[in-house]
Amino acid sequence: MSSVIRIDTISKSYGECKAVSQLTLSLQAGEILGFLGTNGAGKTTTIKMLLGFFAPDSGKISVFGKDPADAVTRQRVGFMPETAYYYPYLNIYELLAFYGGLCGMSPAHIRQRTEELIERTGLQEAGDRQLKTYSKGMLQRAGIAQAILHDPDLLILDEPFTGLDPLARIHLRDLILELKAKGKTILFSSHELSEAELMCDRVAIMKAGKLVLDKPMSEVAGDGNTNLERIFLHVLETP
Amino acid sequence: MNHVIQLKALVRLSLLDLYRRKDLIVVAMLTLVVLVPMSFATPFGVKGASRYLNEIALLLVWIFMLVISMTRTARIIPTELESRTIYPLLSKPASRTLILLGRYAGVLMASLSVLLLFYTLYATINILKSAVFPWEVWLQALLLHAGFILLATSLAFLGSIFIHADANFSIIGIIVVSMLLYGQNIPVLIADQTPALRHLLKVIYWIAPHYEFFDVRTRLIHHWPAIPWLICCAAFAYAVIYSMICFGLAAWLFNRKKI
Repeated sequence: MSSVIRIDTISKSYGECKAVSQLTLSLQAGEILGFLGTNGAGKTTTIKMLLGFFAPDSGKISVFGKDPADAVTRQRVGFMPETAYYYPYLNIYELLAFYGGLCGMSPAHIRQRTEELIERTGLQEAGDRQLKTYSKGMLQRAGIAQAILHDPDLLILDEPFTGLDPLARIHLRDLILELKAKGKTILFSSHELSEAELMCDRVAIMKAGKLVLDKPMSEVAGDGNTNLERIFLHVLETP
Repeated sequence: MNHVIQLKALVRLSLLDLYRRKDLIVVAMLTLVVLVPMSFATPFGVKGASRYLNEIALLLVWIFMLVISMTRTARIIPTELESRTIYPLLSKPASRTLILLGRYAGVLMASLSVLLLFYTLYATINILKSAVFPWEVWLQALLLHAGFILLATSLAFLGSIFIHADANFSIIGIIVVSMLLYGQNIPVLIADQTPALRHLLKVIYWIAPHYEFFDVRTRLIHHWPAIPWLICCAAFAYAVIYSMICFGLAAWLFNRKKI
């Protein structure tokens, strides 16, 4: 399998604060990686570097073997931010038409994908309503729709389960597993250990900017004594 | 081809943003409330006095246009940052410069469409009142007002990259008013100053945007002759060049901004 993401000893500081320190990580094609850690562990900073929003202070980072800031690379990447309120005066059709246009998709292709995704994310009942009337869970679903609109090979999801009710969680989990079955590579950051345990092939745990655990799920998943929750607690409590 | 599709998407977003907000409708209604009675009123029974109504109407059109175009431009990037829509936006395969260009072009087009509406309304009402209408001056006033908006919004857009929207609006507002009131007096002021102050005023004179070049309301109100088209086009070209410099600086800053 080829590496979709290759992170080689990267570091990033904000002034005196070291957000990410000497991080090395890779993600193979078709894998789902759970990128875990407490608040301020460096997950979002790493994701921003993976999306090419800024470069690391030191070390190398590549996505599909290229600079993540390249437009060609970003054509193959879908991203869903933790909480985005999107454009309140648009409806879901207009929102997806906008993002589709940004991805260079033709109007016919956008229409076809929009119909598919609105049905897949359960947003049909929203119809022509503007996004300002959406609940948080509906906005999350709109967020996932815009992320996969252009059928990216790599999907980066930042806290995708935030604000979702149990039914919506199940639907999102099914959707992520369906994308994996299609050969997509997925990295998602989360506090939701149970979701990670149900979906991931591998987990990486960050603590204070450092990677403290990177293991296949088969080595951490539940036999009652050693489940992901206990390992997470153990890792965080270890000085 | 991709860039054209991307630009169209960004411009459409800005247009929808402006047209769907209630503030535009409020301003349009206010302008109508001011302009429509103009077609019926003859103040104090004196025919020539209606020129004063024209003056008030045009002044309000200037103020409304300034408020609409500047508030919208000053908020483009800060709103994207506050609502976090900047993240999915930057994750798409479009360069930051293209994103800026599309968003700015959209706001500019929306503002200019509102300007055209106001001027058309002004012309219609004046034609209804009197058979004689100075079309050439009206066209020059429209062109120069468009140049004024280009100049004001480009500076507001540059400010929006690094200043909060409200502060940006206040600063640009002060610059616009100061230059409209005192811009043409700076050369006179320079002559009476100490050498150090003279240099400082010269620098300000050359750097500051000269909004006073674009105000030909008086000619339109009093039906004075049109200015030479060469001067009119030179002023418009000045606005275009100034705004291109501001946009270039904005793009340079935005490409280096940590988001």
